[in-house]
Amino acid sequence: MAMTRREAFKNLAKGTLPILAAGCVSAVLPQVAHAEEEDRLEANPKYHKTDPAKALGLLYDATRCVGCKSCMVACSQYNELTPDTRQDGIHQAPPALNSYTKNIIKLWRSEDGSDHSYFKQQCMHCIDPGCMNACMFGGLQKDEATGVVWWLGSKCVGCRYCEIACPFHIPAFQWDGFNPKIVKCELCRTPMAKDPTKKQPGCTKVCPTNAVIYGTRPELLKEAKKRIADNPGKYYQSKVFGEHDAGGTQVLYLSRVAFDKIGLPDVGDDSIPSGLKYSHMAYKWLALPIALYAGMVYFAGKNFKDHSHHLAEEQKETGLRAQL
Amino acid sequence: MTRWERSVPVYGIPVLTRGFWGLCLFIAFGLVLTGYREVVGLGASVSGMSDPYAWGLWKTFNVMVLTGLGSGGFAVGIAAWVFNNKKLHSVMRVALLTSALAYWTGLAMLGVDVGRPWNFYWVIMPWQWNVSSPLLEIAVCMSLYASVPLLLENLPPIFEYIIYEFPKWRGVAETCEKLMAKVYPFIIGLAYILPMMHQSSLGALMVLGGKRVNVLWQTPCLPLIYVWAAAFLGYNCVTLCLLLAKLSWKRDLDPVVMAELNKITVYLIYAWTAFRFLDILVRGKILHVFTDGYFSFLFWVETALILGSAYVLSTEKGKKLSTMFNAHLLCAVGGMIYRFSPTTLAFSAKGSSFYFPAMAEIIVCVTFIAIAVLGYLVAVKYLAILPGTNADWNKMAKYEEKVKPGIQLTGYAPADH
Repeated sequence: MAMTRREAFKNLAKGTLPILAAGCVSAVLPQVAHAEEEDRLEANPKYHKTDPAKALGLLYDATRCVGCKSCMVACSQYNELTPDTRQDGIHQAPPALNSYTKNIIKLWRSEDGSDHSYFKQQCMHCIDPGCMNACMFGGLQKDEATGVVWWLGSKCVGCRYCEIACPFHIPAFQWDGFNPKIVKCELCRTPMAKDPTKKQPGCTKVCPTNAVIYGTRPELLKEAKKRIADNPGKYYQSKVFGEHDAGGTQVLYLSRVAFDKIGLPDVGDDSIPSGLKYSHMAYKWLALPIALYAGMVYFAGKNFKDHSHHLAEEQKETGLRAQL
Repeated sequence: MTRWERSVPVYGIPVLTRGFWGLCLFIAFGLVLTGYREVVGLGASVSGMSDPYAWGLWKTFNVMVLTGLGSGGFAVGIAAWVFNNKKLHSVMRVALLTSALAYWTGLAMLGVDVGRPWNFYWVIMPWQWNVSSPLLEIAVCMSLYASVPLLLENLPPIFEYIIYEFPKWRGVAETCEKLMAKVYPFIIGLAYILPMMHQSSLGALMVLGGKRVNVLWQTPCLPLIYVWAAAFLGYNCVTLCLLLAKLSWKRDLDPVVMAELNKITVYLIYAWTAFRFLDILVRGKILHVFTDGYFSFLFWVETALILGSAYVLSTEKGKKLSTMFNAHLLCAVGGMIYRFSPTTLAFSAKGSSFYFPAMAEIIVCVTFIAIAVLGYLVAVKYLAILPGTNADWNKMAKYEEKVKPGIQLTGYAPADH
């Protein structure tokens, strides 16, 4: 044999160690230079493709909503969903968003009954969606042109990680049946594509008070800020929910009562995927895992050789077959 | 004083006991229920899961908790092979078997849990991966680990069995053994890096849970704390298996190896607890340790079980076998609660929603654990897994050669001499 195993490992180490060292350094260094915005983009490369000026969304103004629920009916009609009448067998009265319901109007009432507000729930179409970051194979997609987050059944394994990762509890799973689907608001992208006469989602089309309107995110944001400026003190914290929350959402909310009362939890301004930025660092170009692997193979190889010698000697001594 | 020198099968005890058939019956019933779940879906008749609590026992216990317990192959192996702790080689086979059974049943459980398993084939197409998904990392690394390094590492006892019991195949088995010896360092390297990656990603999973996971658990360091917990859980599991072997089959214990296992467990736990407190302190949430009601209580239950057991193990009292057993058991319970908390116990979904597993869910969960237990009981009787002495082997050989005339278990001479 031209080269002993020990030499082979030595050579291997000589060849790989400088690369590994370089890898380790580069795994950490580029991150230092990264702006926060860049981190977010990197977490979700598909976001690059949506032009923020063209990202579509909704503006829901809870102060204008009269709780007529026509948007719920329209949503079912547009999306060809079976109305959820399980409550009493007659009325479409789902208790929450579920696999029959992509859009819901709920009522918040203060404990003494003196104050109330209606509120609407549907997908927020996050700029950097947690659900999409969670999904293994891209079962949740962000439309390149509109930024709408939609479900692609052929890529979905049914793991329900999207439900864990969505801070707004939006994706709903069909719990019954052998071929379950994820059901969520897709801003009527399918009905609008099927029927070109439909120019906007069902909910905004039928809303009698224009409590929910449809448009591009910059337009909607401008309108929301105009309403706040025109009505000082009317809106809670004079804030547009979704401008920054969860890294920014394409669906925006205005409310007179606190946002957490109308189903919008305090999720902070960081996008959900940004929580993983340290984990992503450890995986940058797989440098750290490869370095660790090479290091462990080197030491394990050395120790394995010694151990094999020891085993062979024992076998000779005892006449009992060596065990690995 | 006993010194473990080699692995010896459990002999002289029938495999097909009444307990064996009882377990089989239970498993058969559980598998029928599993089939029922495949037909009707995951609704209320089968599971307690709902949209707010989308993950139930099958993921949160069978995978998140039990693969932690099955991390012995990785945690003990790394100490033995990479850090050259020679004392631990004798318990490697126990560690590897428990790991394999925990991982294989865990992955099977995952297949039952997901709603659309037929779409899993995308996993073999790397260009379809969403590389920023922690679950993708788990899907890839865990299936790769369970199907390649973990499988290969468990082959030597099987080769050995073939060599003794089927002399006709001895040549083939020995060739395989030699091939394996050539690449073994590369295999075990994989067997350590892959679990490091996916056991930490199991923690990363819940980072996306955001504020729904209580602040005492939710941290960017969750991946590190999670894989660390897996490491000491692996030691707990291996030690418990050895102590149980003493209890049920009167296998002698090697006090030096047991002391080594205890020592490493204790150090892992002290460092783990210190790191966990440090993390909470740095994040400025240390007051939550006292002020968060139920969550603070849960935190202290975990800490008391884990740290208390480690302390007992480090004292003289910990050398008494019954105390050692109880300490490892309570420590394992604490560690399991820790691994269970972020997904379930310390996870607050919206409003008044609540998760409690359905009866069928619990039965299926236990069924897959029973499969692992059954596999363990059969394997240690056929294969040389549990550690013993050369004298034990000679005794076993005498017994087996009487029962099965024609097989030869001693006086081995390599074929090429």
